Amino acid sequence: MRILVVEDEPKVASFIRRALEEESYAVDVCADGQKGLDWAQSVDYDLIILDLMLPVIPGLELLKQLRRNGVKIPVVILTARSEVDQRVKGLDAGADDYLTKPFAIEELLARTRSLFRRAGGTPSGILQVDDLVLNPVTREVSRGEQRIELTTKEYALLEYLMRNAGRVLTRPMITEHVWDLDFDTFTNVIDVYISYLRNKIDRGREQSLIQTVRGSGYVMRTDV
Amino acid sequence: MSQASIRVRLTLWYGTALALILILFAGTIYFVMARALRDQVDASLEEASSAAIRTLGEHRFGPFLIFEDLSQNFPELALLDKFFQIFGPAGQVTIQSANIQSREIPLSQTAFQASLKGNATFESVRFDKGVPFRLLSVPIMHTDRLVSILRVGISLYPTDKMLQRLLLALLIASPIAIIVSLLGGWFLAGRALKPVNVITHAAQRIADGDFTQRITSPRSSDEIGRLASVFNDMIARLETSFRQIRQFSADASHELRTPLTITKGETELALRRPRQAEDYRQVLESNLEEIDRMSRIVDELLFLSRADLGEIKMTMMPIQLDEIVREVQLQAMVLGQDREVETVLGPISPIVIDGDELRLRELLLNLVDNAIKYSHSRTQVEISLVQAGLQAELKVCDHGIGVSEQEQQRIFDRFYRTDIARGHASKGTGLGLAICKWIVEVHQGTIQVESFPDKGTCFTVLLPLPSSLS
Ligand SMILES: Nc1ncnc2c1ncn2[C@@H]1O[C@H](COP(=O)(O)OP(=O)(O)OP(=O)(O)O)[C@@H](O)[C@H]1O
Ligand SMILES: [Mg+2]
Repeated sequence: MRILVVEDEPKVASFIRRALEEESYAVDVCADGQKGLDWAQSVDYDLIILDLMLPVIPGLELLKQLRRNGVKIPVVILTARSEVDQRVKGLDAGADDYLTKPFAIEELLARTRSLFRRAGGTPSGILQVDDLVLNPVTREVSRGEQRIELTTKEYALLEYLMRNAGRVLTRPMITEHVWDLDFDTFTNVIDVYISYLRNKIDRGREQSLIQTVRGSGYVMRTDV
Repeated sequence: MSQASIRVRLTLWYGTALALILILFAGTIYFVMARALRDQVDASLEEASSAAIRTLGEHRFGPFLIFEDLSQNFPELALLDKFFQIFGPAGQVTIQSANIQSREIPLSQTAFQASLKGNATFESVRFDKGVPFRLLSVPIMHTDRLVSILRVGISLYPTDKMLQRLLLALLIASPIAIIVSLLGGWFLAGRALKPVNVITHAAQRIADGDFTQRITSPRSSDEIGRLASVFNDMIARLETSFRQIRQFSADASHELRTPLTITKGETELALRRPRQAEDYRQVLESNLEEIDRMSRIVDELLFLSRADLGEIKMTMMPIQLDEIVREVQLQAMVLGQDREVETVLGPISPIVIDGDELRLRELLLNLVDNAIKYSHSRTQVEISLVQAGLQAELKVCDHGIGVSEQEQQRIFDRFYRTDIARGHASKGTGLGLAICKWIVEVHQGTIQVESFPDKGTCFTVLLPLPSSLS
């Protein structure tokens, strides 16, 4: 899951990024409205966290422009408590949720999860493929009775694969959703992580849940 | 409602005063009228009596006087309204006119006694049937001896009747007049108080928070008009200060929100799971920085709001301005060390102005702090102080990021920071120049900015010299 944070106050952006990264999301931060608009249109983010008070292009304007251009990425806006008006305008402009500053970190994370859940279509939020179960709230993964311990990146990769189970995911798609902008796409990191994941979740099984699609990428099988 | 009670009170006062005047007036009219009528009756009695005495004289006061002769000589005596009687010296009736009919009208003791002394007497009497009479008894003397007493009488019935009518008219007309005038007074008081009503309503709406209310009064020079304009002045002032307060709290909460968000976020994030000591130290450092920022915002905001209310004490005395400049330059050298910004002195003239030393130092320090903060590294900031006409001209120039033309007026606003400035130096509250502007204005000076983006900025402060003030 890859998230764009558009926030001009560097320290606010910084702790939001760290909190999201701890949850194994890939995070990009930009500090002005113009950059935010460009990035949101060129990368297929899973979520945008948008401050309304931004230099160059105000947050509200950015949001309207995104929606006008047909970008449907879920957006959480950050507003000031006194500006009820702003909140309403933000929601009207196409925001999916809002948080008022100062907000609780846990709330930000909970809303992030709930937006992903809405996008993924599972009301409980728990993802399941065969007997592989992933709980985004507790970040617990298990196969059958077996608990599986994953690193942050492995978890992120697995979550993305499971959310898109049955779909063929190309390497660029995986990079875009699991890694942030600093990631160097010419390495074979994805293949390495896929093999780590296979090692952990498919141990002792005949067939792997993660199948390689020759020439294109990977797919999480649902037909086992 | 006090407005209604004023109306009632006004009307009652008005009514009472009018009633008193009416009563006095009616009483006077009645009294004067009664007197005039009485005098008229008395005069006619006197006239009749002297005519009768003359006739009697012609008959040498003989006992053979008959009324027919009298009435022959004086046809008016025959008129029904008067009667005559002649009494003998002992007070017994000797002769009387026919129109007296059978009525017994004896001579009273007072009249008889007065007649003995040779005095005429007027009397008002009322006999059995209740008809009032006015009587005049005149002694007829002959060589100092009382020969007989002539009495002329007239019924007071017509005059009484007239007075009664007058009284009745007054008794009916006065209450009507009072009622009409009370109604008029009620109406007039209402009209006079109507603008007060309008003012009350306006005040009510203002109390509900609508400060756009103004009272429209067509007559601006009368008492109500003056009240309305004073009232409007007051609302205008209230509106400004209310707006300022609202602005202040909006600004304050907005500016405090960012450091609050950061401290809350950092702290919560740190507490989510056990961490290394170094991580905690970083969080505490960041929090401390934000706490410092908040206390600076609070201090500066409080200063400005107290300045708005005129609560800042200034001690004005002659200040050697060039000395302050030199001292601030030394401080600035330290401030600029990190970014290798050097602060140099341009032309400095010895100048003394009347002012508050602490505030003037703050003004200069703020300007120099900005100049250093928004300079490109390894450039120079220049301070100069010269006399320009009747003013001292203080200049702080830098080679830095500059301010665009359209933002130049706004940088003196509270909390306004240009986007480039935010990117260039994250610390700052945007209150420095607002404070500078206030300090310059209390010294009756002006502050101006001249700037080119990415080239540099010059702030020019003009302060009046002491001689030009007096
Ligand atoms: N010398 C300068 N060069 C360029 N921009 C300046 C300069 N001085 C002021 N400004 C602009 O004016 C704004 C307001 O200045 P002000 O001193 O009021 O606030 P600040 O410096 O941002 O914060 P602080 O309250 O800490 O002084 C600045 O944010 C900056 O955008
Ligand atoms: Mg400043």
